[in-house]
Amino acid sequence: MKATAFALTLVAAAVFIHASSALPAFGTADAPASAHVSPRYIERGYEETGAHNLVTAVLADYRGYDTLGETTVIFTAGLAALLIIGAGAAWSWEGRPR
Amino acid sequence: MTAYAPVLIVVVPLTAAALVPLAALVSGRLARAVALLAITAAAAAALAALVAVLEHGAMRHRFGGWPPPWGIEYVVDPLSGLMALLVAGFGVLVAVYAGPAVATAPRLLNGAFHAMYLLLLSGLLGMVLTGDLFNLYVFLEISSLAVYALIALGSERATIASFRYLLLGTVAGSFYLLGVGYLYALTGTLNMADLTVRLAPLAGSPGVTVGVALIVVGLAIKMALFPLHGWLPDAYAFAPTPVTGLIAAVMTKVSAYVLFRVLFFVLHPAATTPDALALLGWAAAAATVAGSVMALAQADVKRMLAYSSVGQMGCIVMGFALGTPLAVTGALLHILNHAVMKGCLFLAAGGVQFRTGAARVPEYDGAASRAPLSVAAFTIAACSLVGLPPTAGFFSKWYLLVASVEQGMWPFTLALVASSLLSAVYLFRVVQRAYFGRAPQETGRARAGAAELPLAMLVPVALLAAAVVVLGLLNQAVVTQVIASALPALEAR
Amino acid sequence: MTGTWVAWLHYWLTGGLLLVGLYGMLAAPHLVRKLMGMNIMQTSIIIFFLGLAAKTDATLPIVPTDDPAPAAAAYINPLPHALMLTAIVVGVSTSGVALALILRIHRHFGTLDERDLLSKLRE
Repeated sequence: MKATAFALTLVAAAVFIHASSALPAFGTADAPASAHVSPRYIERGYEETGAHNLVTAVLADYRGYDTLGETTVIFTAGLAALLIIGAGAAWSWEGRPR
Repeated sequence: MTAYAPVLIVVVPLTAAALVPLAALVSGRLARAVALLAITAAAAAALAALVAVLEHGAMRHRFGGWPPPWGIEYVVDPLSGLMALLVAGFGVLVAVYAGPAVATAPRLLNGAFHAMYLLLLSGLLGMVLTGDLFNLYVFLEISSLAVYALIALGSERATIASFRYLLLGTVAGSFYLLGVGYLYALTGTLNMADLTVRLAPLAGSPGVTVGVALIVVGLAIKMALFPLHGWLPDAYAFAPTPVTGLIAAVMTKVSAYVLFRVLFFVLHPAATTPDALALLGWAAAAATVAGSVMALAQADVKRMLAYSSVGQMGCIVMGFALGTPLAVTGALLHILNHAVMKGCLFLAAGGVQFRTGAARVPEYDGAASRAPLSVAAFTIAACSLVGLPPTAGFFSKWYLLVASVEQGMWPFTLALVASSLLSAVYLFRVVQRAYFGRAPQETGRARAGAAELPLAMLVPVALLAAAVVVLGLLNQAVVTQVIASALPALEAR
Repeated sequence: MTGTWVAWLHYWLTGGLLLVGLYGMLAAPHLVRKLMGMNIMQTSIIIFFLGLAAKTDATLPIVPTDDPAPAAAAYINPLPHALMLTAIVVGVSTSGVALALILRIHRHFGTLDERDLLSKLRE
C-alpha cells in the first residue's frame, strides 16, 4: 500500500510540475484571473451592493447563492453528526423491512 | 410560475429539508408527508420545466439578477431538464419505497432521515442544473455529505464503508476544486458558457490539460470509474436498500452527466486532446470488462449489482471517449437507461429480501414462487442490462456497439460484447434459480402473509420495471427530442 | 511582496503540501492520520487559490469611503477569497462528519486501524 501510495504521489508531483510552467505570473494585475471578472467587483462593488468589504459583496450579493449552499453544507454536516452518533446510532436499520 | 421552475426544482427540497426536522417534532408521519410533498413538487417543477424547454428553448435563471459571469446562473436545456426529472422522479419513488422501513423509527430519526434525503436530492439537482463550476462544487459537497450519513445508517459495518467513501469522495472534490482553480487562473471566469469561449484560444496548453485532467479524475472517482471504484462495492452492499437504490440509480449518473458537460461543452471547440480521450477510453474498456468479471465472482446479490454498475459506467465513458455523435448519443441514452435499470434491480432485490430474506445468490432458489412480482421486475431489468430488445438497454448498447465498430475500435467492441455476455451469466443465473430452483424450507426470516410486499414498496418496483420497457419503446423520441439537442456542438467537431 | 522567488515559493509550497497530504491519506493506516492528511490536502488547495488573488502593490479589498472610483489595480482580487471561505467551511464540515464516523467506528469496533477494519468488513 505504501509503495502504491508513493508511486501515485510521484505521478501527481510530475503532473503539477508540468503544469506550473503554464500558470500565469504571480501577482500581476493583468493575469486573466484578475483581469476578466473581478475588476467589476472592485470598481462597482460598493456602488452596486453597498458593502465596503468587497469579499462581503461577492459572498453576500454577487455569489449569494454559493453562500446559501455553504450554510446548507453546515446544516448537512450537523444533521449527519446527529444521524451518525446521535439518534441514528441508537436505531438499527437491520431487521427492519428492506 | 414556470419561469421560476429552474429555481424551484432545487430550492423547494432545500427549504423543506430545514422544515422537516421541525415537522418531526410533531410526528414522524408529518415529517414524511412534508418530505414527500417537497420532492413531488420538485419532480412536477422538473416536468413543467422540461415541457417548457422542449417547446421554447433553453431556460436560464440568474440568481440575484446578476448577469453571468459575475453572478451564478441555472440553465435548463432539454438534457439537463431530463436529468433533473430523472433525479427528482427517482427521489419520489425511493421515498415512497423507504416508507415501510422508517415508519417504525422514532420521530427524531424520521425527521433527520428525511431531511438528509431531501438534502441529497437538492445537492444532485443543483449539480445538474447549475451553469457555474464552483456552484457545482458546493452542491457536490452537499450531496456527498448527505450520502455519507445515509450510507452509515445501514449497519455498524456500513460506517467503515462510509468512511472509506468519505476519504475518496473528498479527494475527488478536492481534485475537482483544484482543476477549477487551474481553469480560473488561466481564464478568469467560473461560468461554463463563458469558459467555453475563453478556453478556445488556449487549447492544448499544459495548464488547461492539467486543469481538465484534475476535474476528470475528480469526477471519475465520484463515478466509480475503474480503477478508482474502490469505495463503491462496500458502500452499495452495506447501505440501506432504499439508499443504495437511489445512489446506484442517480448519483453516479449525475457525475457522468457533469463529465459530459465538461468534456463536450466547456472544452468545445477547444477539443479535448485525442490522447486524453484515448486514455479515458482504455480505462473505460478495462472498467467494462473488470466490472463484469468481478460481478460474476460475487455471491452477495447487492455486491454483484454494485460491480455490475462499475462495468456499466465503463460503457458510458467508452461512449464519451469515442467522441462521435453516435457514441455520445449512446452514452447519454445509457445514462438514462442504466439509472432506471439499476434502480429497478436494486429495489426488486430489496423486495425479494424483504419477502424471503434472500441476500445471496444461492438463497434465491424458488424465490419466484414466494415473491413473483419482485422477481418478474428483476427479470425485466436484467434483460435490459444484458441488452435484449425491446427493453431500453438494447438501444443504448446498440448505439455504442455501432459507434465503436464505425470507429474501428475493436477492443471496445469486444469489451461491450463481453460485458453483455458476462451480465447475462451473472444475472440470469439468479433468475434461473428464482424460477426453477427448489425453495428451501421456510426460514424464520421469511414473512408470512398474503401481500408480497407492502404497496409502498411494490408500486415503485412495478413502475420502474414498466419504465424499462417504455423507455425502450420510446427511445427514438428521447434521442431525437432531447439528446440530439444537446449534441449540436459535436456536429461541428 | 514581489519577485519570482515568491511565486516559486508559493507554487512549490502548496504543491508540496498537497503531495504530503495525499501521501498521508493513502499510506497511513490509522484513520485519524488519514483525516489529517485529508485536511492538509484541502488546506494546500485553499492556499493555492488564494495566491491567485495577489496583485503587486495592491491593498486589502476594502473600499474606504474616500475612494469614489476604485481602481482595479489598487485592490487585490476578492473573488478567490470569497470562494475559499466557502471551501474552508466545506472542509470543516467534512472533517466534522469524518470525526463523527471515527467516533462511531471506535465505539463499536474498538480499533481505528484500517487493515483491521477492512478485515472486519470482509468477514
